[in-house]
Formats: sequence, C-alpha cells, structure tokens
Amino acid sequence: MVPTAVYFGLFFFVPFGLIVCFSFWTDSNYTVVHDWTLDNYRYFLENAVYWHTMIATLWVAVAATAITLGVAFPFSYWLSRYVRPGLQKPLLVLVIVPFWTSYLLRVYSWLNILGDEGLVNTALKKAGIIDQPMSLLYHRWTVILVLVYLYFPFAALTLYSSIDRFDWDQLRAAMDLGASPTTALRKILLPQIRAGITTAVIFVLIPILGEYLAPQLVGGIEGVMTGNQIDSFQQGALYARASALSLIVAGFIVLLLILFRKSLASKEAYGA
Amino acid sequence: MAREESVLSRRGRIARSSLLVYGGFIYLFLFTPIVLLVLFSFNANEYGSFPITGWTLSWYRQVFGDPDIQDALRTTLSVGYKVTIVSVLLGTTAAFSLVRGGVRFPAGFRVAMTLPIMIPGILIGISLLILFTQILHLPLSPTSAVIGQSLYTTPFVLLLVAARLEGFDRNLERAASDLGANAFNRLRLIVIPLIFPSILAGALFAFTLSFDEFVITNFIIGSYNTLPIYIYTQIKYGITPEVNALAAMVLMASIALLALAFVVPATYRLVRKAFTRRVAPAAP
Repeated sequence: MVPTAVYFGLFFFVPFGLIVCFSFWTDSNYTVVHDWTLDNYRYFLENAVYWHTMIATLWVAVAATAITLGVAFPFSYWLSRYVRPGLQKPLLVLVIVPFWTSYLLRVYSWLNILGDEGLVNTALKKAGIIDQPMSLLYHRWTVILVLVYLYFPFAALTLYSSIDRFDWDQLRAAMDLGASPTTALRKILLPQIRAGITTAVIFVLIPILGEYLAPQLVGGIEGVMTGNQIDSFQQGALYARASALSLIVAGFIVLLLILFRKSLASKEAYGA
Repeated sequence: MAREESVLSRRGRIARSSLLVYGGFIYLFLFTPIVLLVLFSFNANEYGSFPITGWTLSWYRQVFGDPDIQDALRTTLSVGYKVTIVSVLLGTTAAFSLVRGGVRFPAGFRVAMTLPIMIPGILIGISLLILFTQILHLPLSPTSAVIGQSLYTTPFVLLLVAARLEGFDRNLERAASDLGANAFNRLRLIVIPLIFPSILAGALFAFTLSFDEFVITNFIIGSYNTLPIYIYTQIKYGITPEVNALAAMVLMASIALLALAFVVPATYRLVRKAFTRRVAPAAP
C-alpha cells in the first residue's frame, strides 16, 4: 500500500496542489510569476464569455445526465424484469463493449452519422424528404446527443445492478393493494434503487463537467465547454489561467461529492 | 419470467413488448456508429463517407505501409505494457492492504483511489503537465504518458483484485499454515493461484485502457504519437479514408482485448482445475 500511496501522492495529489497554487499566480511572458493574486478569477468574472460558458457547461452536463439516465432506466428495467435470466449477462456484456472501445473513436464515429454526407442526411435525401443536407453537427444538442451515447453504458450498468436486486413481488403486492403501475414504480421501486441512481448521476455528471473532446469534434463554436477553454489556455502556455479554470471545475465536483457523500459512503453505491 | 406470462395483464403485455422494441433501439443506437466506422473503412469512396462506391482493401494496405503509423503503434505498445506492469504491481499490493488491514482509513483510501477514475481526465492531464514542465522541467515523453495513464488504470486493477480478495476464504490459508506452509508457500500455493485470474483480467483491462487512452495522454506525451493521438491529429487536419481503416483496426483490437479479458481468466481456472484433478484426485 505504501508504494501505491506514494505514487498517487506524488503524481495525483501533489499536482492537484500545484493547480491550486498556480491558480493564484500569474502568467507573464510564457512563465508563471509567483505573486499571490486573485487576478485569474477576476479575469473570468469580468469576461462574460467565461461564465457564460460555465453556465452552458453546467446546463449541458445536467441535461446530458438527465437524458442518459432517462434513456437508461427503461432499458435496465426491461433487461432486469422481462429478459430471461440466462440472456441478461450476454446482453449486459454487449452494452459494455462500446464502453471499452476507444473514447476518441466513439466521438469520431458520429461524424459519419451526422455529417453533411453522413448516414442521416444520405438516408433523408434518398427518401426524397430533403434536397439540401441539414446541419446536424456543431450544435449544443449534438454535443448532448454524443455525451448520452458515451455515458449510456455506465448508467445502464449501474441502474441494472441496482434494479436487479429488487424483489418484484413487492411491486405485485402494491398493485394487488390497488396501486396503479406508475404509483407502484414511484413509491416502491424508485426509493429502493436510490443509491444506484445517485451513483449513476455522479459517474456521468462529474466527467462531463470536464469534457473537451466531444464538444471540440461535434460541437464546433456553438458547443464550446469550459474544458475547451482550459485546453486553449494550456495550448497558449497560460498555465495559471488554465489552473484557475480547472480549479473552478474541480470546485463544482467537490460540491457535488459533498452533496452526494452519504450515498457514496454506503457500500451499495459500488454494487456494480 | 416465464411463469409470469399467464398472469400478465393486457397492459403488462403491451409494456413488455414495447420495452422489447425499445431495447432493440438501444442496441441499434449503441452499435450503429461502430458498425458504420468499420463499413466505411472498406469504402472505395476517397472521401471516406457516403455514398459507398465500392469495396476495397487499399486503405488497409496504406495503413500497413505508413511509417508514421508503425511508429505510433510501437509507442502505443511500449506505453501499454509499462502501464500494465505498473498498475498490476501498484493495484494488487494496494488491494492486499485494503482488504487485509494495514490501511488506517479503508473507506477514505477507497474513495481516494476512485477519484482518478471519476474526475475528468483533463484535470489529471493539466496537473501532470504543470508538474512535468513547470516544476520538474522534464521533457514530455512516452514515459510521462505511462505515469498519467497508470493513475487511471491502477484503480481498475485495485477494485478487481480487492473484490476477489473479499470473497476469499481465509481458512484455506489457516489450513495450509497448520499443515506447515510458511508465509511464502502460502502465498505461492494458495493465495496467488486463487487471485491470479483477477490479476490477469486486471492486466488486460489496464492494457486495453492504455491502448485507447486519449484525454490524459494528449496533454503529456509532447511530440510523440500513440495511435489515438495520431488518429486525432489526422481527424483535425482533414478526414482521410486511411484513418477509417486505422480506426476500424483499433476498434477491433480493443474488442478482441476485452474478449480476452473475459476468456483468459476463465480458461486459466479450467486448465488449473483439470491439472490439479489429474495430480491429486478429489476424494469421492
């Protein structure tokens, strides 16, 4: 354990401490001046583009998380309740397959679908519905769609493992006692899978807050997120600015972790 | 479930069949992008997009002949095996301390080791970039990529091996000890064989993750290329059909590696079982 702790201390926690320091220093002529100041943060406050992007990032993250869970829930419900037990494992593995393939390629592959010469436009043109290709790439919603695609496997897996422990007799009992199916789902199933839902929310929402590849490849200018701004500061060797913006993202993450700490502390959260 | 069939109401049957259709759509959603990518890699159209004008293997031939790609492949593999070794060593030893005591705050340690998987890769990338270039003044190289990637892969190995150790019957070791095995022999004859499948699976997962890793690597590999970095550069400077062929191969390689991660540990268990049975027949 000691070597592992040292390794992670040195390469994970110390660098994080560095970001904290750098965020209060300033960039000047491609070096960082070690004067303690709040300049970087003031800069982000004064330039509307940064906090607008931050709000947009939060919005994209929340929307993508909500949609991912909304899409994954009926799927996991179906898999756990209606699929033969012998088939459940293989079908689950099929969901994991895309999750283990290259993240870059999973983003890239959407260019083949949504591009001007992509699957959707070609199909619609062939069907005679449109003459000119529709612009499907480089919108905020394109980014959200691709994020849902990227994070669906995780949400489905987490929700499945939590729904799978549910005793369906309880649902039947509630309905025998006169509850409608939706009431039974809401009052009996949902409270019992709360830990799974929270885990899914955390593991989908947190990484999205720092996304930069998906917005860059399919979001264009309209889809810019805070991650892209961090990346461009870094490319311009503005490490203090990049650190400050990273620390703001990290701040949101810490806030989320504190908010959800109870459900994370329970072992059930790691049921998957 | 089969026995439920007869008691399902009409509404239940409708819910069931519409969910079946929904499940089908989900798999379509998951696999269309992947299948399309592979399909385009055989497309004769030189823009690598629709319409499909014919089938060809020439993009694949170009990939195999490209020295830049061979270079990137070499870097990918060399980073990959180093990441695998580092994460197996660090992950396994940490799993032992975590499960068998020796960690003062096991819950805190577990959360701390989950952080690198959970937080966005950009934060790991930026902070390591600053450590290497601004503080240590080291040149960026595949070695920095090994360090960055192993932060992300070690927790996977740790969680896998820890899960296996938690389900481990410690009486086996006590029995071995009663029969005179010392600590080294207990480890060699009892513990390692039992947790070896999860170590193998962890190693394969670590290698696959490293093979595909882009987000962290992109910040800290400097001017070197791994395959994902090479593909990214090509995408940025215009999509060529050659990239589709390379992408398809990378995709297939990670799926094959994933299959290995499931098959190899199971095979190991089977082989071992067959072997031990021959050596020491079980009592009737």
